[in-house]
Amino acid sequence: MPIKNRFAETHAEITGWRRHLHQYPELQFDVHETAKFVEEKLRSFGITDITTGIGQTGVVAVIEGRTNSSGRTVGLRADMDALPIEEATGLEYASKNPGKMHACGHDGHTAILLGAAQYLAETRNFDGKVVLIFQPAEEGGGGGLEMCKDGLMERWGINEVYGLHNMPGAEVGSFHIREGALLAATDEFEIIITGQGGHAAAPHEAIDPNLAAAHVIVALQSIASRNVDPLAQVVCSVCVLRSDSEAFNIIPHRVTMRGTVRTLDKDVRDLAERRLGEIVDLTARAHGCVAEIDYDRGYPVTVNHADETVYAADAAEVVSPGVDRATPPIMAGEDFSYMLEERPGAYIMLGNGGGATVHHPEYNFNDDAIPAGCSWFAELVERRMPVV
Amino acid sequence: MPVKNRFAELHSDITAWRRDLHEHPEILFETHRTSATVAEKLRAFGCDEVVEGIGRTGVVGVIKGKSTASGKVVGLRADMDALPIHEETGLDYASKTDGAMHACGHDGHTAMLLGAAQYLAETRNFDGTAVVIFQPAEEGGGGAKVMCDDGMMDRWGIQEVYGMHNWPGMPAGSFAIRPGPFFAATDLLDIEVEGLGGHAAKPNETVDTTVVAAQIVGALQTIVSRNADPVKTIVVSITSFETSSHAYNVIPQKVRLKGTVRTMTPELRDLADKRVNEICTGVAAAMGAVARVTYNRNYPVMVNHKAQTEFAADVARSISGDCSEAPLVMGGEDFAFMLEERPGAYILVGNGDTAMVHHPLYNFNDDVIPVGCSWWAGIVEQRMPAA
Repeated sequence: MPIKNRFAETHAEITGWRRHLHQYPELQFDVHETAKFVEEKLRSFGITDITTGIGQTGVVAVIEGRTNSSGRTVGLRADMDALPIEEATGLEYASKNPGKMHACGHDGHTAILLGAAQYLAETRNFDGKVVLIFQPAEEGGGGGLEMCKDGLMERWGINEVYGLHNMPGAEVGSFHIREGALLAATDEFEIIITGQGGHAAAPHEAIDPNLAAAHVIVALQSIASRNVDPLAQVVCSVCVLRSDSEAFNIIPHRVTMRGTVRTLDKDVRDLAERRLGEIVDLTARAHGCVAEIDYDRGYPVTVNHADETVYAADAAEVVSPGVDRATPPIMAGEDFSYMLEERPGAYIMLGNGGGATVHHPEYNFNDDAIPAGCSWFAELVERRMPVV
Repeated sequence: MPVKNRFAELHSDITAWRRDLHEHPEILFETHRTSATVAEKLRAFGCDEVVEGIGRTGVVGVIKGKSTASGKVVGLRADMDALPIHEETGLDYASKTDGAMHACGHDGHTAMLLGAAQYLAETRNFDGTAVVIFQPAEEGGGGAKVMCDDGMMDRWGIQEVYGMHNWPGMPAGSFAIRPGPFFAATDLLDIEVEGLGGHAAKPNETVDTTVVAAQIVGALQTIVSRNADPVKTIVVSITSFETSSHAYNVIPQKVRLKGTVRTMTPELRDLADKRVNEICTGVAAAMGAVARVTYNRNYPVMVNHKAQTEFAADVARSISGDCSEAPLVMGGEDFAFMLEERPGAYILVGNGDTAMVHHPLYNFNDDVIPVGCSWWAGIVEQRMPAA
């Protein structure tokens, strides 16, 4: 069986929702209009058990199956927020909110889960309960964590939880998953190196924090190249360097650096954090400077649970000819990781076809992927909680 | 089937051979005594053909089964060479050759394949031909390639080829294997940095090669940290840094760097080759020096073939009950050359809780012998079952 027939019928309607959401992107937790749109659609499907304001602006809704002898509750999650990017697609349904853009396809994720909800509310062809989770602030705000902190899992008795993300570069409608670490822990660091500012013509009277920072950047390369097991994965990138003076003839007093550390394993994460601290502190001191480090642990590793990965891949195989069960891990982060820390579950990547990659101003979600995505959610529910 | 009973009987003989080899380690292609011992034993077992001097000091033996109607020919390979290490085990059969040591267990590999050859020549309980391959110079000399270059695969019509390595840290006699890339490509770097030497008190009149080389070492780290896909596997290590002068007060004219690059895919190997060259020549040029880079592609990635890997694991399971999935190994293995010529598989057999290979306290574990011999025999008897 390929996609469920019902989604061929609703494809145009769901595409309409997706494009509406695309026109009105909202950032972080400020997804008020999006959440309202989600709520209205859910009500129009005949869903009545809807709760708003979970994780500030998240929406949770319940669809009861025909029966509930299984006692099982499956959570399905989509993210709703957009990015602070100026859209450059030139689409007729391009963003109407300047400086904001659905450049990660969360418009598509939300529309797909709405489409699946419509079908599930119509058919209720399962024995158990589905909890729809629409979360804000996936892009750096940790909306997934906020919803969990609001008691999402306990309050709705969720037993397992699933999510999907579009994947540019992979064939439209193909699915890609792996057991274990799929997406990285994403930590951020800010380093302030303080030396002694002075005249550029008299470097000997100054302590140059630029030079110390340059040595720090080079030395940080050794975390990946020397410290971490070559069979493990780590990225340590210094992305920002700003001297506190912009003059041609001043040795700055202070330099600020920012960057990110990506890992796929808890022990590697600990090692990278420790080595970053040691390298920065000691290299700065070697150059007569002082370093302050603010190391902020962001999203944890997104770890797919073994059994649920198989369930997710099996459901994908029913709806799509292209399922890769051993896709390589991705060094980007994903705050669905918090939900997977609370409940068993799995996250799957859905091919978005060619075109720009996510977070690019020319990116666009591919509406052709909608039926496969909707079918996957629906199939997963019907297989996990089959009608008796 | 656990180990074959015959190997319980032969265990002490094979152990004695192993310890004799251990006492007389020979390096690279200089395995003259070892090769002669191997050839003599193969002849004594009644092999149908024994040929010396393949790949300089390699030995090939042929054992025909009761029948050869299947037309199948399976190659079994062991390595014979030792390492330039001073042995510190204190064993009563420790190396008698100063500065040479069987610190990688090739003594054990050779003894086990000899044991299997004796059994196979006695029983011949298979339909086809077993070719036993004893190679020199696994440790950096590429003995496997030299044997292949001598036409070994074609001359004996070998269709599949198998190999085995002991593995400290794995329970003695347990097996582990993986399909696809298994051992890394091991490339060798020679980088000569030439600047302008001079008096250490007048650095302004020199181009200081020590500083240039230090910058190169730093910049080479970016191949792993910036150029390679973080989910791929690569190691770039500069292992030797030598100035052309050893004086306290001379800025050296030249610095010689040596190192190694380890990769698991041809694409990453190409990338490393390109970036090593670009970084060394570019950084040197930026500092007013010249870098001459020799990127020597040594052993290729050792890739286990899928079907043969499954078969090898099945045989291992029939002996030890289990065969686990081995991790990728960043070490190199020149059996890779044989696997480039013929389908086959390489398996690890646990050596127990011993010192790591290439360590002066390492020793091959003789308890593993019956298991290793049984695996060889199983490969032959199960791949070419008697009609």
